[in-house]
Amino acid sequence: MAPPPASAVADSMTAPAAPRDSQTNIDIMAVTKGFHWPWLIGLIIAVTGVGVAAGTLVYQTYVGLGIAGYQAPVFWGVYIITFVFWIGIGHAGTLISAILFLFRAKWRNAINRGAEAMTVFAVLTAALFPLIHIGRLWKFYFLLPYPNQRYLWVNFKSPLLWDVFAVNTYLTISLLFFLVGLIPDIAIARDRAVGWKKAVYTVLAGGWQGTGKQWKAHNRTVLHLSGIATPLVLSVHSIVSWDFAMSIVPGWHATIFAPYFVAGAIFGGFAMVINVMIPVRRIFKLERYITDYHFENMSRFILFTSLICGYAYGAEYFIAWYSGVEFEQTSFWLRAFGPYWFSTWCMIIFNVVMPQFLWIKKLRTNLPFLFVLCFFINLGMWFERYVIIITSLSREYIPAAWGLYIPSTTELIVLTGSFCWFSMFFLLFLKMFPIIAIAEVKELEIHDKEHH
Amino acid sequence: MSELDRRDFLKIVGLSAGAAATVGCEPADKLVPYVIQPEEITPGIAVHYASTCQECPVGCGIHVRTREGRPIKFEGNPEHPINKGFLCTRGQGGLARAYHPDRITEPGSRGGDGVVQPVSWEDATAKVAAKIGSAADKTWILGGPVGPSLTGLMDQFVSSAGLAGRLTYENFSKHALIEASEQVFGVSAEPLFDLSKSDLIVDFAADFLDSTVELEGQFAEARDLNKHTDGGARLIAITPRQNLTASNADHWVPAAAGSEGVLALALAKAVAQRKGVSLPAVSGANIASAISEAGISKGKFDEMVEKLVAANHAVALPPGVASSTASAAGASAAVLLLNVVLGAVGDLITYPAEDAKKTATLADVMGLIEQMNAGNVECLLIHDLNPVYSLPASAGFVEALEKVDLIVNFAALIDETTEVSGLLMPDHASVEAWGDMSPRPGVRSIIQPTLRPLHDSRALGDSILAIGRQLGGSAPSSLPEGTWKSVVESNWSDTDWRPALARGGEFEATPIRSVSVQSSAGNVRPTAAKLAGSGDFVLVPYPHSYLGDGGGAALPWMQEIPDPVTKISWNSWAEISFAKAEELGVVFGDVIQVETAAGSVELSVFPRGGIRDDVIAIPIGQGHTVGHYASHAGDAAYEGQSASETLQRGVNMAELLPAATDEAGGQAYMSTRATVSKTGRYRRLALSQWTDNQRKREIAPEVSLYELAQGGGMAHFAAAASAEGDDHGDGGDHDEGGGGHHFEGPPFEFDASYDADPDQPYRWGMTVDNDKCTGCGACIAACYIENNIPIVGEEMAIKHREMTWLRIERYVGDGETDFGLGGDGTDRRPTPDREELGKNEVRHLPMMCQHCGAAPCEAVCPVIATYHSDEGLNGMVYNRCVGTRYCGNNCNYKVRRFNYFDYGNKNWPGLLGLMLNPDVTVRGQGVMEKCTMCVQRIEEARQTPKDEGRPINDADLQAACQQTCASQAMTFGNLREEESLVVQTAKAGKNRAYHPLQILNTRSAVTYLAQVRRDENGGH
Repeated sequence: MAPPPASAVADSMTAPAAPRDSQTNIDIMAVTKGFHWPWLIGLIIAVTGVGVAAGTLVYQTYVGLGIAGYQAPVFWGVYIITFVFWIGIGHAGTLISAILFLFRAKWRNAINRGAEAMTVFAVLTAALFPLIHIGRLWKFYFLLPYPNQRYLWVNFKSPLLWDVFAVNTYLTISLLFFLVGLIPDIAIARDRAVGWKKAVYTVLAGGWQGTGKQWKAHNRTVLHLSGIATPLVLSVHSIVSWDFAMSIVPGWHATIFAPYFVAGAIFGGFAMVINVMIPVRRIFKLERYITDYHFENMSRFILFTSLICGYAYGAEYFIAWYSGVEFEQTSFWLRAFGPYWFSTWCMIIFNVVMPQFLWIKKLRTNLPFLFVLCFFINLGMWFERYVIIITSLSREYIPAAWGLYIPSTTELIVLTGSFCWFSMFFLLFLKMFPIIAIAEVKELEIHDKEHH
Repeated sequence: MSELDRRDFLKIVGLSAGAAATVGCEPADKLVPYVIQPEEITPGIAVHYASTCQECPVGCGIHVRTREGRPIKFEGNPEHPINKGFLCTRGQGGLARAYHPDRITEPGSRGGDGVVQPVSWEDATAKVAAKIGSAADKTWILGGPVGPSLTGLMDQFVSSAGLAGRLTYENFSKHALIEASEQVFGVSAEPLFDLSKSDLIVDFAADFLDSTVELEGQFAEARDLNKHTDGGARLIAITPRQNLTASNADHWVPAAAGSEGVLALALAKAVAQRKGVSLPAVSGANIASAISEAGISKGKFDEMVEKLVAANHAVALPPGVASSTASAAGASAAVLLLNVVLGAVGDLITYPAEDAKKTATLADVMGLIEQMNAGNVECLLIHDLNPVYSLPASAGFVEALEKVDLIVNFAALIDETTEVSGLLMPDHASVEAWGDMSPRPGVRSIIQPTLRPLHDSRALGDSILAIGRQLGGSAPSSLPEGTWKSVVESNWSDTDWRPALARGGEFEATPIRSVSVQSSAGNVRPTAAKLAGSGDFVLVPYPHSYLGDGGGAALPWMQEIPDPVTKISWNSWAEISFAKAEELGVVFGDVIQVETAAGSVELSVFPRGGIRDDVIAIPIGQGHTVGHYASHAGDAAYEGQSASETLQRGVNMAELLPAATDEAGGQAYMSTRATVSKTGRYRRLALSQWTDNQRKREIAPEVSLYELAQGGGMAHFAAAASAEGDDHGDGGDHDEGGGGHHFEGPPFEFDASYDADPDQPYRWGMTVDNDKCTGCGACIAACYIENNIPIVGEEMAIKHREMTWLRIERYVGDGETDFGLGGDGTDRRPTPDREELGKNEVRHLPMMCQHCGAAPCEAVCPVIATYHSDEGLNGMVYNRCVGTRYCGNNCNYKVRRFNYFDYGNKNWPGLLGLMLNPDVTVRGQGVMEKCTMCVQRIEEARQTPKDEGRPINDADLQAACQQTCASQAMTFGNLREEESLVVQTAKAGKNRAYHPLQILNTRSAVTYLAQVRRDENGGH
């Protein structure tokens, strides 16, 4: 897929004359300046949502997890579903910033900053959920291997512990990647800022002067970090999938889980990038930088990963049937036709059937369509985890001990709160740092110019 | 509280197992150390006292296990001839009465505004004495059954004070059976049954497996496969609904409700003809009409006759409460005649030499009500009875009470009757007072206090003495001297008191008399039940397994432990057949209205296969409007409510049943028809198990006697597996639709070197014999009480958040891998649906933590809160648990429980926390818990053998569930000791030994012995 120059993309806009460097700076930094009503309303809603959810959580911690909807034998519910969901969302960001960087896919430059920020905030959101989920939040530090007088140690055999390491590693690397990438742009912000902001940006810019030596060091660092982050795209969600695959629960215990989860994560992650970038582009008038070309490329990714997901769904059912194991057969049959049929069919329709429209090129660049489609994909991905967790747990080995789980209001408030939490970070980020990697865009423009 | 000198107390508390004890209990939340350490007590060591269970009139002996002066558990007294060391669910639950939040803490008098004001004992006594002094001939005593000492004292009181009379009333009386004995044999006594030597038992809706542990134990003995290679006694259950007995029967005959007597007489005639027995009393029976009245086939009848003729020691059990029709005495007499024909009388059925004590019948109580209405009763003394709740509402007792000037109630716990009583003189709880019981001639059992009274209550005997001494005339002098305790002791003056106290009483063989059929037996002509009213359904009320006549409803565990047949807890339900449910357009949980001439109630429906189309069955025992557990008063959702209609839990059958009596005057419970209609409302019931379909997963398999005799049994699974060679997983099981989960390798080889430290002498484990398990649930109560398992209430039970460590799964048949749409409850209202009328394929499977050698839960815990001990136990460190609940997900047996709220600390209101076992941690909020195989008992048992330099053996140690199981279905012990009971039991049953879900190779430490199908046709 040889990338055409950004200026050659056919879209409704006339190809703009190459802007001056300073114009790019002004355009993108404009996002952080000025006043935008939608931004303020969004922030108010987000902060309120976070507040309500936090209050609910304090109450839940105080009275006990009984106010969540757990019903034996379903011991995991919305919290773990949402954890897996947000971890998955982060993956597109890492893929864009690390793997596409290594593959020199230049088109990523306009969206990578936003996607990276999304990754960091998604992981920050996800990391809360194991804590929200556990029965004794105040003892969360038991999950960390810290030296203590009682020689208590953690269980390295447990996939949950692998999770602890996977998520922490992911958060660290994503954050580093994000911050290192920001340095040249923070320097631009520093040069334009006044007052206390200048002091903050000065510190964060770390003395960036844009010298050749600094650029060389910066590029090397980004390259190395990409190398480190690349395996994470595959490993983090693989490990999360092993929370399920390593157990003996029918419907969980499957070797396909790691690739299945990774593909699903990238699928859902790109959908989320589109869902976030379309309004951002519109509100902050970034059409010149984030073009239809970017959306089309992301659509192609979505179509591709949707096919992998579809294959995985099919393979699961095939194996359940082919294995001849009644436990698996029953579990999968009841997934589709049991009490949770609704979630399963949502998953299949939203994740496999609907993305097939993307075979049509016109739809790939039709932003309203893409926005709606991606919304459903996100919903479908949430339902995918719902299906995996809830239907499997509710139909295990002992039929007498089967049960049903219905999410409670508490869980739905916290779920909504997680979106508010994520949005809050993203909205604040919009006003503090350039949403588009200015330096990289300029690099691309200079590159294009020279080829003209 | 009166200060009782510790030394005085020492003097009066008896000995048990060579240990004397004392009481150091203070209800206040202070820790008071012993100033002078009593010699006999060691803090941390439990002391057991022999006493007697007072939950029902059976009179089982108990050992009250106390710690530092507090009773913490009731266990059966092994020396007691009735229960032989075992105790039923409700008997164990009696523990809660002393600490109950419903306790009446001080005497009180109800003012004109209806509010009870505290009064002093002196004032209360004086008030009653004054009333009796002015209207002795208008004073009655109405009470429940009490022991011989109290009976004697009250009789003296009645005669010396010149009272109008005294009625001892039992809700479930034996009048019909005694009347029948009178009619057939001319003896006014209740027969004793010995099922242990029988080879065929015919249960005429007696539901004996749900009655006493004595019969349950005899049944297990009669069917013990180690003693009887032919499978031992067969059981034929004749009942219109599949009750617990029919769930354990080899043949279930769903005869029409109320046709038991007619059927029994017809059977007697047919068997007499075949056996050549001449008994004129049965010759008048009409076999053809009996068969049609019973609604069974001729073939079924002939089959029963065949079996009865072939049996050498057949015995028939007369109808119980659920079939107490207006001709209950006739029906019982017919069953007795059948026993005569079978030759059981004098052999398996004997009559004590003494006549039964006369008690009041419902007719007598109705007479009292008439007197009350006529204004002839000014003062009514009520004890040990809750007539406002239990007497048929149509009898008009509540209305008649308004005509009574002074109602004195001696109840220890509040109930519906105390709510309308004017003067409350609270009795001690059962573990606080002296007393005795004489359940049958020759057996005298002592009740001794094991707890210093927690409240300002007074023993009933002392209250009676105090009232009597304030009366004028000769009354004081004709009453015994001293206290109630000395009265009891003087009644035992013919025995060596201290050894009797240590033993629990005087246990001698019941003197027997021989009986013969009298000419009056010729008049026995049972008729099919004449039912009042109209309607499509025959109303069959039956005693709830744990609530009994309603007295058990106050006990938390009796509400929480699911009914052994329907698996519903905390509420009432109505059983109707699937066909009728479909006709009415209702599914499980839909509320229906049940109407009789006497009244109407609304309750949720439980459609099932195991009930006749013409029957609606509703358990007796719920429907209380008062009480923390008995009503909704203690439920969080009902906080602030006080209206009795709102607080009523379930339905009270007294509102639905007419005040009908049988020939002997006892209440005829099964006496009316009912109209059923749909209300369109839905009320979810707490159903503790999802389905009775085990989907061919062989969780509770069955082997036939034939297979066992051929040396087959479970071994054929192994043979099938090895015959397939390496080609596992694709076995021939497909054609059964069951998938390839066969057993791999020999199902049972004891190689205990696995799964625990090889250097340790112990690997703890259990053997559970499904064939012996009747599903009664006594083990569950033992587990709850031993391990401080909190109860969670109806709202939580509906969400399957019950905390039980041990459950009994009830499956019907092998099940089917049904892939039909909606077949498993897509409507969110699961209904066990595999029962079939007249066919018993029920399998009971006690399920607890299997302490797997390769436990799936251990590997996934991120903090090692659950781990494997060097003695093979799957341990649980509550303090380390953070509550990820991964272990619960990964447990294939689903035995792990999560404490969603702080159940352990919050769900024991009032003083109930005092009954907790100090050896077991009370688990807090947010941690997982599960069966520990009573690790605290293992630790307790460790010391003595260590001192003696020998290993722990079976005599040192019993798990709580094992200890109380009358069928002895559970054995626990050391798997590494070849001679231990647990190994021996498993080896003896090795052809039917298996591990559920063995294909997962979890190396379970619990070996199950499959249920045995004794008769191939299995009642099909």
